[in-house]
Amino acid sequence: MIEAVNLSLSYRDGTLALKDVNLKVNSGELVYIVGPSGSGKTSLLKLFMGIEYPTFGSLSVLNQPIKKGESGKIRRMRREIGPVFQEFKLIEGRTALENVMMGIRFLGIPSKQMKEDASNALERVGLAHKALSKVENLSFGQCQRVAIARAIARKPSLILADEPTGNLDHENALNILELLTSFKEKDTAVIITTHATHLIQNERDVTFIHVEEGNISIERRGELK
Amino acid sequence: MKSIFYNLGYFLKEVKNIMGLNLLSNIFSIIGTGLILFLLGMVVSGFTVSNRLVNMLQEEAEISAFFNKNVDTGERKSLVEDIKKIEGVLDCRLIGEEEAYNRMKEVLVEEAHILELLDKNPFDAFIEVRIHLDQIDNVLDKVKNIKGIDYVRDNREVLGKIKNITEGLKLLGFLVVAAVGITTIVIVSHMIRQGIYNNKEQINTLRLLGAPISFIGFPFVLVGLILTFIGGILASSLMLFLINKVYGEMTLLPFIPLPPRAELISSIVILIMAVSIALGILGSILGLISIKNLEHNN
Repeated sequence: MIEAVNLSLSYRDGTLALKDVNLKVNSGELVYIVGPSGSGKTSLLKLFMGIEYPTFGSLSVLNQPIKKGESGKIRRMRREIGPVFQEFKLIEGRTALENVMMGIRFLGIPSKQMKEDASNALERVGLAHKALSKVENLSFGQCQRVAIARAIARKPSLILADEPTGNLDHENALNILELLTSFKEKDTAVIITTHATHLIQNERDVTFIHVEEGNISIERRGELK
Repeated sequence: MKSIFYNLGYFLKEVKNIMGLNLLSNIFSIIGTGLILFLLGMVVSGFTVSNRLVNMLQEEAEISAFFNKNVDTGERKSLVEDIKKIEGVLDCRLIGEEEAYNRMKEVLVEEAHILELLDKNPFDAFIEVRIHLDQIDNVLDKVKNIKGIDYVRDNREVLGKIKNITEGLKLLGFLVVAAVGITTIVIVSHMIRQGIYNNKEQINTLRLLGAPISFIGFPFVLVGLILTFIGGILASSLMLFLINKVYGEMTLLPFIPLPPRAELISSIVILIMAVSIALGILGSILGLISIKNLEHNN
């Protein structure tokens, strides 16, 4: 599903964000990318999304090489990803339902089916009753759930969630993680970045990618070991 | 294509949002585009009328061939037959002294009594030759060289001047069409860029979600189309008013050969609306380049 070989990423200002990364993520795998702020977690997710291109080495996501000159194909690849952005990226002035539908409008789904899929996704995150509320009237945690609903309504092969527990209290953070990991299915991989390691220290059957100053180390737990 | 069909309601809502964000600017754009298209309509109408005038004059183009006084009636008929055979001659007729005199009486109208002061008819018989204007030089050369023809008079100078005016109007028309095209495209693409800028966040999110450019850009193309389409309706309404007004006034000048009113109105309205739709789409597509630029930030 994801394969990186000798992957490095340098920004234009010369900052080396990731150094010589080698990793492989398979279908149905749950992966936590952990590390302190500014360690390179988000840079890794940006590469997986095709927002950044590798400076050295190679990266392939959902069989699509992430490299310059492939923007059309990378855009198509993104349609198979369910992204949950750190800052949610919800459209203000629109309802929760409209925001969820926004993620599936261009997938060639008939309008009735689209509405049904979006409603089901909102129900799955426990926000069916807020479907017609404008997102600016929702709480922080509810907005996060709408963003997750938008990601899962797409029935993605890969869920990428960037710091979904940031700014949440302990209980809400646990709920969000529980919700996200519940989407780990046979064919769907879930990758979550977080610096709240205390919330996931007892997780089993997961892969941890530890990122520190651009270097990574991989730790597999449970059956994945 | 399927996505566009399934999302028609969404696109219309987006159009409303995009236009609502910059309502005043959009209203001014519509008025500006309408006035520019009105200018186009006026120039094309002027060209249509003058072109029709020239065509009519060309159809009426004729020369007068005067013959030697010693030529008798039989020879005159033979001259007419000889001229008819020349390429470029449409018709040829002998005008006798009396007909020439009567024609002048009709021209002079109230002053015709002057002719009565003359002892005898001062007008000579001549041959009236209707020709194709394009072949006037060829016809003139050949007629002049026919034995018995003394002198040939033509109205080439007048026709040439009218033709020059029409050519000038044609050139002006092309310049106006070019100016209208460029100005409308600039206005529309600027409005689309502004719309894209105002919806930057939404567009970026859609791009990150993998939306194709055609999906993101479609509402903006619709906005461009609506701006120029309404501008076109405004211009067509103004032209309708102007043409009706001018035709109303022209009943006092019946000798000016105007094209049928309905024909002129329908052709001008079709032209304005077609140009407005084409320019709206073109301007929007040019404006959509901004979306591509946003892509580099993703």
